Amino acid sequence: MTVSATSAPRPAPRRRFQGRAWRETVSFYLFISPWLLGFLGLSVLPLALGFAASLTNYDGYNLDSLRFRGLDNYARALDDTEVWHALWRTVVFSVMNVPLSIGLALFLAILLNNSIPARGVFRTIFYLPHVIPIVAVVWIWRIFVDQNYGLVNGILSWVWPDTAIRWTVDFPTQVLTALTVWTGVGGGMVIFLAGLQGVPSELKDAARMDGATTPQLYRAVILPLLTPVIFFELVLTMIRSLQTLVAPMLLAGDQLASIPVRDNYLFLVHAYQQVFAQQRYGYGLALIWMFLVVILVLTYAVFKTSKYWVYYEVDQDGGQR
Amino acid sequence: MAVVDRVAQNAGPSTDRPSASRPLVARLQGISIVVALVGLAALFSLPTLWLVLISFKKEVEWVSYPIVILPSSAEVYNYYFAVTMFPYLRYFWNSVVLSTTYTALVVLSSAAAGFGFARHPGAPGRGPLFGLVMGMMMVPWLVTVVPQYIVFSKLGLLNSYWPWVLWGISGSPFHIFLFRQFFAGIPRDLDDAAEVDGCGRFRLFWQIYLPNSLPAVAASSIFAFTWVWGDWLFPKLFLHDQITTLAVKLQTAYVDPYNQPLVTITMAGVVLYVLPMVLVFFVAQRLIIQGVVTTGMKG
Repeated sequence: MTVSATSAPRPAPRRRFQGRAWRETVSFYLFISPWLLGFLGLSVLPLALGFAASLTNYDGYNLDSLRFRGLDNYARALDDTEVWHALWRTVVFSVMNVPLSIGLALFLAILLNNSIPARGVFRTIFYLPHVIPIVAVVWIWRIFVDQNYGLVNGILSWVWPDTAIRWTVDFPTQVLTALTVWTGVGGGMVIFLAGLQGVPSELKDAARMDGATTPQLYRAVILPLLTPVIFFELVLTMIRSLQTLVAPMLLAGDQLASIPVRDNYLFLVHAYQQVFAQQRYGYGLALIWMFLVVILVLTYAVFKTSKYWVYYEVDQDGGQR
Repeated sequence: MAVVDRVAQNAGPSTDRPSASRPLVARLQGISIVVALVGLAALFSLPTLWLVLISFKKEVEWVSYPIVILPSSAEVYNYYFAVTMFPYLRYFWNSVVLSTTYTALVVLSSAAAGFGFARHPGAPGRGPLFGLVMGMMMVPWLVTVVPQYIVFSKLGLLNSYWPWVLWGISGSPFHIFLFRQFFAGIPRDLDDAAEVDGCGRFRLFWQIYLPNSLPAVAASSIFAFTWVWGDWLFPKLFLHDQITTLAVKLQTAYVDPYNQPLVTITMAGVVLYVLPMVLVFFVAQRLIIQGVVTTGMKG
């Protein structure tokens, strides 16, 4: 087979399908076939089915009496006061969580970017919460902020005796934010740290020669160079924050219902309740699809702002010449 | 990758000068940085410290008011009750089996796909397909999970480990990206040499690329294992109480006859559940951080 293909000259198109390029194509598709099949079966198909179901009255069992409802579920969602409440709480949570997570991660990375003793130990301490599973994280925080026996109120009581703040009742979103920042900041920190260490030392030395102080050095040289990394982290943290679901449910602590307090009733919690507690599959899926659109729009908006503050090294060659 | 290496080596920044010649301002700056770090590190450790302390306290010490910081003596019985109040080891084992199954499959499948994307530059459709992989990293998981739940329930795959097998076989965008980045850094000469020796693509992948990519395999395995080990939602949704994982059981397992949580015993159970993850982290810290940086910074 191979002998005849190489010895006898053939028309160009047929050669293409038997030669190196053809073998490369076959090999490529063989190697990615597990992913590709999974992508079709576990992503594309569910997405299509899910969207189709969001246009119906599907409740998990009523395949006989399935009705096409058009955009009714979507229209109903817009009139659902719970939807607006949940959306609002998700925004409130994210507005606290995203800047805090990114700001603290960046601050820690800048501190650790100095030559200080035991840098590795500090890095480990800040990263460690990142490896703790969410169930454990929520347990840790529930006893940490416990009204009567928690450490937080205990320490506060040394200054203001008999402090008994009901953290999970009166400040649930703050607790959720603290917990999310605590467990999430390590990932951002190591990424920022790598970015900081990637800043060329010639640039830093040049700025030092020109008499820049450390704050000036950061503001004028290092942070602008880091903006692509900050931007990437911002997008990922925002998407993750908007999709928060498990932590508020676990924080609620009820054995069966797991319905969070009002303030932590986030958007995906509401959608989850519709699907898995109320069996309103069609309606719940409509909520999720609407939310996907919200996330896409917000992500697009953040991408649009990038040209005002993100530094891309497009004309670096010109600048260096 | 140069960036990663520099982080891993903990190389000092270039502004480092002998401390004797440092001006006073710089030295004060250094001291205040260390003070800030110590303060923040203390703040960050408090929740975990409190967990460990309570896991060694007697119930009366936990419910004493005002609070008692240190237990009078280490109450190791908490740990004994933590593993005997319900079949702890069985659920621990469930977690191990489920995590291992998923990890083995997802690492193999993702490595194969990563090799496909990294080493077949001429294959038509490669660019758009890789765009899809990256795009799937952004799609909210709940959009696909609810329909998957419906499909799996219709196929009778609920209450089995089959969903994890299927998820494993189909790989994960995050892991595919990790492998693609790693493979792209391996010199091409290997391919040519292997091809001259008559080595096919599959053998090239299996006998040369995979064995030479142990850091990527290790990082990917740790991420996959940690993910299933820590996941609460999917076993909660897909598995019934007998075959579920430790994560799900820990939420509700330790209660007294009045259904009130037994906090000190729960904390002991939580410590035992978290400990494997912390140990893995300490053993493979460098690999993990490299993996986070590689996938988080797009190379």
